[in-house]
Amino acid sequence: MTDAPPPPSLDEMLGLEAGPSFDVLRAPREFFADVRELVRVARRTVHFTITGERRPFAIANQMYEIGYRSAAFLCISMGFIGMIFVYQAGIQIRRLIPDTSQLGATFLELLVRDLAASICALLLATRVGAGIAAEIGSMVVTEQLDALRMCAADPIDYLVRPRFVASLAMTLVLTVLAGCVAFLSGMWTAYAFFAMNPRTFADASLVDFGDVAIGLTKCLAYGAAVPIISAYSGLVTRGGSEGVGQATTRAVVMSSLAVIVLNFVISTIGYSLFG
Amino acid sequence: MIRLEAVTKTFERPVLRGVNLHVPEGSVYGLIGAGGAGKSVVVKMIAALVLPDGGEITVNGREILTMTETELAGHRRNIGMVFQNNALFDFMTIGENVAFPLRRLGRVGDSEIRERVAERLSRVGLAGFESRVPAGLSGGQKKRVGIARATITRAPLVLCDEPAAGLDPVTSQRIFDLLRDEQRKSASTVLMVSSDIDRLLTVTDRIGVLHDGRIVFEGTTEETRASEVPLVRQLLNGDNDGPL
Amino acid sequence: MSDLFTSLGSFFIGAAGTVGSMGVLFGRILSRLVRLDLDGNELLTNLYKMGVRSLPIVFVTAIFTGGIMVVQAAPTIERYGAHQLLGWGAGFGTLREVGPLLTALMISGRVGANNTAELGTMVVTEQFDALRALAIDPISFLIAPRFVGIVATLFLSTIFADVLALVGAAYAGLPLLGVEPRTFYDGLTSGLLGTGDVLHGLVKSVIFGVVMALASCEFGMTTEGGAPGVGRAVNATVVVTAAGIFVVDYLLSFAL
Repeated sequence: MTDAPPPPSLDEMLGLEAGPSFDVLRAPREFFADVRELVRVARRTVHFTITGERRPFAIANQMYEIGYRSAAFLCISMGFIGMIFVYQAGIQIRRLIPDTSQLGATFLELLVRDLAASICALLLATRVGAGIAAEIGSMVVTEQLDALRMCAADPIDYLVRPRFVASLAMTLVLTVLAGCVAFLSGMWTAYAFFAMNPRTFADASLVDFGDVAIGLTKCLAYGAAVPIISAYSGLVTRGGSEGVGQATTRAVVMSSLAVIVLNFVISTIGYSLFG
Repeated sequence: MIRLEAVTKTFERPVLRGVNLHVPEGSVYGLIGAGGAGKSVVVKMIAALVLPDGGEITVNGREILTMTETELAGHRRNIGMVFQNNALFDFMTIGENVAFPLRRLGRVGDSEIRERVAERLSRVGLAGFESRVPAGLSGGQKKRVGIARATITRAPLVLCDEPAAGLDPVTSQRIFDLLRDEQRKSASTVLMVSSDIDRLLTVTDRIGVLHDGRIVFEGTTEETRASEVPLVRQLLNGDNDGPL
Repeated sequence: MSDLFTSLGSFFIGAAGTVGSMGVLFGRILSRLVRLDLDGNELLTNLYKMGVRSLPIVFVTAIFTGGIMVVQAAPTIERYGAHQLLGWGAGFGTLREVGPLLTALMISGRVGANNTAELGTMVVTEQFDALRALAIDPISFLIAPRFVGIVATLFLSTIFADVLALVGAAYAGLPLLGVEPRTFYDGLTSGLLGTGDVLHGLVKSVIFGVVMALASCEFGMTTEGGAPGVGRAVNATVVVTAAGIFVVDYLLSFAL
């Protein structure tokens, strides 16, 4: 316990500025430590969801926040996506075969199975994920989180759980809603650009149980992953308001990545099961 | 009431290097020292919000470092805490903020909660503020709400982290007097951290001086004022030259 | 009811104002670029910083996206026995749409948001004013290099992502559909896809980059209200970039 300054770090000894090359070893280690903590948070969230005290008002409040603030953005984006997808697909198919009759059916199948859930989740990760991380992050840096713990209120129960439940429910609702919007806008695009009869387009014959199951699973998986990852980013905020900004962007990026990875995993499993 | 023995803590660099501290029951203890010395860390450790790297912390005869989560919750229920930045919940009204710790205790009925909230708010001079929100209050008002919230459960231990930070001299003195008054009425034990040493000394019984990660001086307020230790003299006089 | 119209109206007016400012900013940046009036040091620093930040994200996203495209196309391929066409199917989707779009969205979260945060923090700590007081043009010193940095990063990342996604798809095709990488490659180059499709995607990525750079710099520079203001600016950047990318994608899909 002397007053000597701490020994020089490896970087200092080599006369190098701390650059990304030396972070290569640190980053994966930190990443896995993060993942372990994240899993802990996830487990406790689910635990409180099942066993915690009933606080319906908090959940309803969060559902309103998520639903109201994102619905318009989601529907407009999905409307555009429906148009773009049907247009691009139509052009390409016509290069191959003149018959575009399956366009609507294929589009609907893809929508149900993947597109609606995944794209909505990516957009929600941007809005909702950033919002959750910012709210919880601010509470951390203004010591409100400490104050909660002092009153024997578990922050995960109080803050994360309502957002988790609300996100599960609203992701499902919003996905279905936005999916309908996408389908309708696709229908209009097919009519306007390929003179396709809307009735031909509105063909649900290719959608089977497997597709619905996969789409639903994705909805629930995304709806669970985004709030937990974002809340975790908020909870580990360090360093004042700058830290809150960093937490926000980290939440958005990590949630989006999680959506993509989950998409691949669920799609592959679904394909092997249902074909 | 509170005893710290050989407590150490390192963040990027060593902050606490072996703190020995004793707060007698029923007294007002002031913790002073230069900025960044680690005073807030000591307070958070007593509240078990931060864990030390080494040493022992005993509160009311119980070693808190070996407590389970459930026991810690019980430990925290016996503490009221005033935070440096108030830490009022900005998603609740003032009334709900003050009521929150009481509600968390679980054994108090709604009407009694309302009565006690009203009593606390008028005690701190904010009668009728129940339905207002933290965002609309001045710094001094927020501090007073924080004190109301910290004292509503009549906890035997009250921790104050910079209770007068950022307040004008008159309001600062009022806050300190209020805290001292509360302590006399409830016979609780109070630990206060403050950079406003002059005003702090007007309400304390004992003082501890934290420097370079250790308590270098501990004594009654009078002993502190009369002390010949250069570091203590420099802190009290606000001099430029000296050990700091 | 009138409340709804008021808020709708003010939303559109605000949006129009923002788009207008972005247009003005674009003009100012262009005038500097044409004269090659930008700080070389800052340009290199930003290119390096943004590139390094984007690499891991683009890498992971692209490979998984390639795999996803194969899995999604799989039922249709199986149904029509069109294994030869996997290369073509994955190719056109990736090159024309998914590549540029997804890359832009992912990079927006990293590079766009970070840029806004940096600029915003500079504004609220008065560093911007300090530059002006030293008679240094903030646009050519700070903004133009970042603009070029973002556009270049997005362009290069899209190329990188396209290649990776197709590689990912090629190797996903084998276990999932029994399509050999060789067959995949043939399908890709069979002539149904042309350089036109590649260019379509690349032009998109450049335009997305412009949108992202303008939004990010605009919101960064107009930050106000201290630290919470920076947070709001970052949020605005991410949302406006995403919305702008979708709108531009829509317009470009029909124009090109």
